[in-house]
Amino acid sequence: MGGQAGFGPVPAGEDGGVPFAADWEAHVYALAKMLRRRGVVNDDELRDAIERLPPQQYLAASYYERWLGALELLVAEKGLI
Amino acid sequence: MSYQPGSRVRVRAGDPDHHTRVPRYVRGHTGEVVAVLGHWTLPDDSARGITPPRTEACYAVRFSAAELWGSGDHTVTVDLWESYLDRP
Amino acid sequence: MTGHDDHEAQPAAARARRLEEQLITAGLTSDDEIDEFLTGLSGASPVNGARMAARAWTDPRYRDLLLDDGNAAAAELGFGPFSYQLRVIANDEDVHNVIVCTLCSCYPVSLLGPSPGWYKSFAYRSRTVREPRAVLAEFGVTLPDTTQISVWDSTSEARYMVLPQRPAGTGGLAAGDLTALVSRNGLIGTALV
Repeated sequence: MGGQAGFGPVPAGEDGGVPFAADWEAHVYALAKMLRRRGVVNDDELRDAIERLPPQQYLAASYYERWLGALELLVAEKGLI
Repeated sequence: MSYQPGSRVRVRAGDPDHHTRVPRYVRGHTGEVVAVLGHWTLPDDSARGITPPRTEACYAVRFSAAELWGSGDHTVTVDLWESYLDRP
Repeated sequence: MTGHDDHEAQPAAARARRLEEQLITAGLTSDDEIDEFLTGLSGASPVNGARMAARAWTDPRYRDLLLDDGNAAAAELGFGPFSYQLRVIANDEDVHNVIVCTLCSCYPVSLLGPSPGWYKSFAYRSRTVREPRAVLAEFGVTLPDTTQISVWDSTSEARYMVLPQRPAGTGGLAAGDLTALVSRNGLIGTALV
C-alpha cells in the first residue's frame, strides 16, 4: 500500500511503540512462528493469506487480527486441525 | 543474472492474481540497480506451493520521488526479483 | 454466511485461544514451546542493534564489515544466525535513511525487538515512501533541506537497519554509554540519536 492516500498521522506516540497490545497478540505471533518452524506454512504463504483476506476484513482488522485471520485460513485450507 | 549495479531497469506493469512482492507504486516505473542482493526463491511460486519454486537474482532498485510521484526530492529503494524487471 | 459473520465477530482473544488449543491438540505445537518462545523473545531487543552501531562508531574495521556484510558483523557480536540478509545503511551529512515495509511490515526482529505498532500501521506503510519528510516531522525529526532522504522498502529476504551518525561530543564515552545513545527508532530512521 505504498503511496496510498488517506491514512492520516502515524501513531508515533508512546502506545504506538508497544509490539503487543494484548497477550493474545503475542500468542498469535508465536503460533505463526511455530507453524513456520515445522515447515507447515512458509513466510510467503502467510503473507499471501493475509492479502487474500476480504478487503473489508483486511482494513478493519488490527495487525495481529490479520495474522490471526491468515492463520485460520491456512490451517483450514491445509486441513491441519 | 541480467543486471548489475548501475543498470537501468523498468518494473513490469501488470496485476497478477497471485501473491507477488512487486509494490503497486513501482509498477511501470524505471529505476537504477544499486546492489545485487542474492539468488532467492521467488515468493510468487512459494506462496502458491509451486514445486520446485523458481530461484532468481534479487536486486535493490532505486527510484526517484519525481519518477514515482511527480514531486519530492527523496529516493525509494525497493528489492525486486529479476522476473519483475525488464530493460527500459 | 451468518455462521461466518458470527465467527469473525468473536473477540480476537477468544479466536486466538481456540486456534492455539486446536493446534496443540493436533500436535503442531505445545504450551511449553509457546511459553519458551515468548520468554526467549526478550532476547530480541534494540539493544542488540544499538551495540552494533556503537561498535561501528569506534572501530573503523567493524564499521566497514557492518556496511559490507551485516550478517558477519552481527555474528562477531554473537547475534544470529538469521534467516534474513542484514543490510546496514549509514546516515551521513548528505543522506538520511528510513526503513519501511509497505507490503506487510518486515523488520529485523532479532536486532530491534518485535516491531512497534506504528511501524505496522497503514499510515506509516503508505506514507513513508511518498512523503518521508512529513512522516519524520510527526516523529519530531526535522532535517536540513540539503539532506536527502533515502527510503528503503523491505520487499525481499533482506532486512534493513540504519547506522545513525555518531552525535557530536561523544568522543570520551565508553561502549556501554554509546550503546545507550542508540534508540530503536534511530536504527529504523525515525529518530536522530
